[in-house]
Amino acid sequence: MSDAPPTLAPGGERWLAPPRPLLLSDRTRRVQRLLGALGQGALLVVTSSSALAVLFIFYFIARDAVPFFQLRGFREFFTGAAWYPAANPPQFGAYPIFIGSLLVTLGAAAPAVPLGVAAAVCLSDILPFAVRQYVKPVIEVLAAIPSVAYGFFALVVLAPLLQSEQGRVLLAAGWWCVAGPAAALLVVLLGDLAAERPMRVLAMLGTLLGGLAALAVLATWLAGVGTLLVILTWCGGLPLVGWATVRVGAHASGPAVPERWRGLVRLAGLVLLGGAAAVLVWGVGGRLASLSIDTGTNALNVALILGVMALPTVISVSEDALQAVGRELREGAYALGATRSEMLIGVVIPAAGSGIGAAVILGLMRAVGETMVVWMASGNAPQVPQPWYNLLAPVRTLTATIAGEMGEADHVTGSERYHVLFAMALVLLTISFACNLLSEWIVRAPARRRRGR
Amino acid sequence: MRIDSRKVVDRATTGLGLLSIVLVAGALIVLLAPIVYRGLGAFVFRATVEHRRAHFDHFRQGNRAALEAELAAVAAARQPVYDALAAQAAAVRALPRRERRAAQEHLEEVRNLVRALLGPLPGDPEPALIRDRYGARRWDRAAVALHNLLYVTEYDYSDPTRLGRKQYVPRVAQWRGTALEPLFAHCAAHAEDMLRPRWTFYWRFLTDDSRDAHMIGGIWAELLGTFYLTVGAILFAVPMGVLSAIYLVEYARDNWAVRALRSCISTLAGVPSIVFGLFGLAFFINTLRVSPSKSVLAGSLTLAALILPLVIRAAEEAIRAVPQTYKEAALSVGASRWRTILTVILPAALPGILTGVVISMGRAAGETAPIIFTAAVSVGPPLAVWQTLSSPTPALPWNIYNLATEHAAADEIRHVQYGMVLTLVVLVLVLNGAAIILRARIARRLTG
Amino acid sequence: MRWNRTVTCGLLLILVVVGSATGQEKADKARIEIDGSTTVGPIAKAFAQEYMSRHPGVNITVSESGSGNGAKSLINGTCAIAAMSRFMKDAEFKAAVEKGVFPVAHPVALDGLAIVVHPSNPIAGITIDQVRDIYAGRITNWRELGGPDARIVKVSRDTNSGTYESFDHFVMNGQKIAADAEYVGSNGAIKQRVQSTPAAIGFIGLGFLGRGVKALPVNGVQPTNATVQSGLYPIARPLYFFTNGYPTMGTHLYHFCTLHLTPKGQEIIEAIGFVPLTHYPSPGGGGDRDTEDEPAPARPATPPATDRPKE
Repeated sequence: MSDAPPTLAPGGERWLAPPRPLLLSDRTRRVQRLLGALGQGALLVVTSSSALAVLFIFYFIARDAVPFFQLRGFREFFTGAAWYPAANPPQFGAYPIFIGSLLVTLGAAAPAVPLGVAAAVCLSDILPFAVRQYVKPVIEVLAAIPSVAYGFFALVVLAPLLQSEQGRVLLAAGWWCVAGPAAALLVVLLGDLAAERPMRVLAMLGTLLGGLAALAVLATWLAGVGTLLVILTWCGGLPLVGWATVRVGAHASGPAVPERWRGLVRLAGLVLLGGAAAVLVWGVGGRLASLSIDTGTNALNVALILGVMALPTVISVSEDALQAVGRELREGAYALGATRSEMLIGVVIPAAGSGIGAAVILGLMRAVGETMVVWMASGNAPQVPQPWYNLLAPVRTLTATIAGEMGEADHVTGSERYHVLFAMALVLLTISFACNLLSEWIVRAPARRRRGR
Repeated sequence: MRIDSRKVVDRATTGLGLLSIVLVAGALIVLLAPIVYRGLGAFVFRATVEHRRAHFDHFRQGNRAALEAELAAVAAARQPVYDALAAQAAAVRALPRRERRAAQEHLEEVRNLVRALLGPLPGDPEPALIRDRYGARRWDRAAVALHNLLYVTEYDYSDPTRLGRKQYVPRVAQWRGTALEPLFAHCAAHAEDMLRPRWTFYWRFLTDDSRDAHMIGGIWAELLGTFYLTVGAILFAVPMGVLSAIYLVEYARDNWAVRALRSCISTLAGVPSIVFGLFGLAFFINTLRVSPSKSVLAGSLTLAALILPLVIRAAEEAIRAVPQTYKEAALSVGASRWRTILTVILPAALPGILTGVVISMGRAAGETAPIIFTAAVSVGPPLAVWQTLSSPTPALPWNIYNLATEHAAADEIRHVQYGMVLTLVVLVLVLNGAAIILRARIARRLTG
Repeated sequence: MRWNRTVTCGLLLILVVVGSATGQEKADKARIEIDGSTTVGPIAKAFAQEYMSRHPGVNITVSESGSGNGAKSLINGTCAIAAMSRFMKDAEFKAAVEKGVFPVAHPVALDGLAIVVHPSNPIAGITIDQVRDIYAGRITNWRELGGPDARIVKVSRDTNSGTYESFDHFVMNGQKIAADAEYVGSNGAIKQRVQSTPAAIGFIGLGFLGRGVKALPVNGVQPTNATVQSGLYPIARPLYFFTNGYPTMGTHLYHFCTLHLTPKGQEIIEAIGFVPLTHYPSPGGGGDRDTEDEPAPARPATPPATDRPKE
């Protein structure tokens, strides 16, 4: 071994000397900490401004909405039925516009919720993985299509179609496609139940018809008071009646039919129920096919399109909720001998109920906030359709009113006309805030329940 | 319940589920089919010699010599038509004064129909509007013009209590025995010779700007406007969004203030787009005066506010998806927090952030309501970059609405409307498709 | 990382190049923003096309969001010309003057408000009172006017619109339109609704008449150039460009605002279908005069234009 120290290659000193001192002086450390805190503060400012943007929007809208309520009060805006902002004297009854938004949203919910939840269930549990990879892009494409393309389709393709001869036929065909299988399924189910315990089925049918009759009476009584209450009665009442029917079906029993009569009773049940269902479906289908649709830009047009627009949200969020239920519950149900549909309907969907509820709310929020489709294709008539479920009448929504009237209104030339639009925007904002909070609260409810609150 | 019924219910439920998927896919097909089919008609169609002439005049497209040869041949085919019209005009001049006026008007009707088909007649002064200087430019419109020439659309009002029935009466019946009679037979037989339709792939539909309010030309101004608006929105939203996401993931503690911040951001995602438009008009244009009038700048700012929550959400997910080990390894060799974020976490999260950015671009490109009052005009020239700070611009979503409803000749330019819708849908789908591919690549990379 | 940076730089470069290449005009010689009526829209667009082809470098944009919006933009200073199909209201004038804007009206054309129905509608004529009753909701079915048994679908303009104001002034006389009337945003939209709905009725400017709709004679008078100019047609109105003060002579704005006084401008207005202000004789026959006595010279089809843009 030689005594000479190892020689470095030229430029090698660089690798020996550390780039920065490993031990920091106090001053350097303080400066670094200060810079770090400043940086964190700056980040906080940026994040807060992103978040405060929404509060800022709210403030800006509210600031210009409050003068309207100061000038005209609340009563006319929320309950008045005459919308004539340009008349002299102007009238700002926005009640029909609220009803219009509500009708269009409910109309969108009618196809979107059953179809969306069923599709989500199918995606998460029924379809094999390979097929699922092909179906997911379809949903994403539906979600990505811009709203003006939907509006263009609604105005240029769907509206003339609805007005034409083919429109009625298509409506009737759509009804048959949906109601036919559903009715057949129900008949088979009920017939089978009737075969064993006919009293149970009779009790269920009684509850159903009785509930519907009660709702109809209540609605007629409330019709004098206001259409909004009628709609709320039906919207709240129908699920209630459905739930009651199911509970009655679960708990009622009555005497069982002896073995040898079961075949006959089942046959009789099938015939009776099938006949009733057939008459119902046929009647509605016939009515639809003979409708005269004189204007294609109506609530039905918009409801269909908005339903399709809300579908991707409902499907994807519901699917997430269904996936989050986990394998244990599913396998437990299978272990107890349930078929796949029983597992889905009895265990998984209730377990994912809060997520599905949130999905529905988010989907409907998209429907409420949609502007271009309703401005182009809803007819924009500020009226409450007679009767309220007549979706073939043109209606006007909040978003379309804002889009349509924004130009004329200026705070110097017509302060009330200007401020009323901000009042509508404020209502829209409040609804979307409330829906957001509601969906977040719903999603966290089971977690809260589990934590014992 | 019996086991058979349970099986039936099971199968039925499966069937219903599959039916719903089929209906969803069916809805997509029903929606896209007319758009794709008729939108392609804006790109691929039978173009007549008038189209080639118009595009040579205004866009310098095509070969001059070939065009002149074609025009000479076409002139030969059209000469009988012009001769018939001239002969009839001479006959009308020979009429006594009393009958001349009505006869002139009757003849002028046919002359206008021929002008709609073939363009200005010899001897006509140059028309004031560009659209009138050329005949039918597309063969499908030419067929309509020819039909209008050959048949009078009459409505049978005999029963006033029913809507009139449309019937087509051959126009030649009105001109039997006059000099004009052979014109109709000639037009019917020689329409193709007079117009020379040829299958054309008009890809320049995307790069030509329009003349005479979209009667001639393409959609370049709108495409460029959409491009500016989208890029502008991204420029404003991405820095803010990424910084906010970094804060929320790395620095924020889980207290009520941060939960409120998150709640605010998710609420911003739910605000209706028309409210953004109102806000943009009231704040950016009327209060802040970022530009003297509507402008791309104001529109970009409004769109940036709209897509901010999306960017934040995507960036948050991307940053969270970076494995903890990366961060721990960097911290363990002595890097400061900020340096870790900048040099280790952000680069690893970049593909995910890019995915979110691309999806937000798709969203920003397709939004209409925010730009109605802040940036969009019906007609305008394509802007240069420096003009975007103060000038408004046509944009695809707004012009789709404009052409479909407000345009005076909406029927003539149906193909432009469908072409615009197709372009916008394809643009958005390409952006989303790119995002999906990116996401798949990241998933593959992160899971090894 | 290097790849990402290259891509980003490349994208930015493309952006700048694309942007500058399309703005081939050297500098922004002038910017004229026109905002306002959808009735005047076609005129504004055609004028813009004509002016921009003669003066490359001038950037003219046209928005059609309603006369009211045009007035508002002029008052707020966000547009140079407000195209309006009605005169400014008192409140608008007051607000303008308060903000230091002095609106000057340039009437560019005359217009008649045509009452249109679907061509299959057998109704041959209508009176203003009947139109008023229809829109007020007192007449709801065509059979009450002697027509088919079909519910009348009434289409109106949004309240932003000068056309709506004209309709309100001449026809409705202050009475309110029934709540079930449909509202659309432009003349073109009314035309399309009426064109596709057999039971519809609407009102549009003369320049929007075409094959798909039938203009009814009102009080026995058919809307034509002659009847509008002579005042015979009961629902007639001028169409305006409003500017802030009279434009300084020699500027592009001045030349644009006086385009309608040139023969070319009047030709354009008549070609679109509106009524020219002056008793403009349209060349090439038709109209009030007889054709010339000498025969038209035989000329071949129009050859391609020369390479230079026309002056």
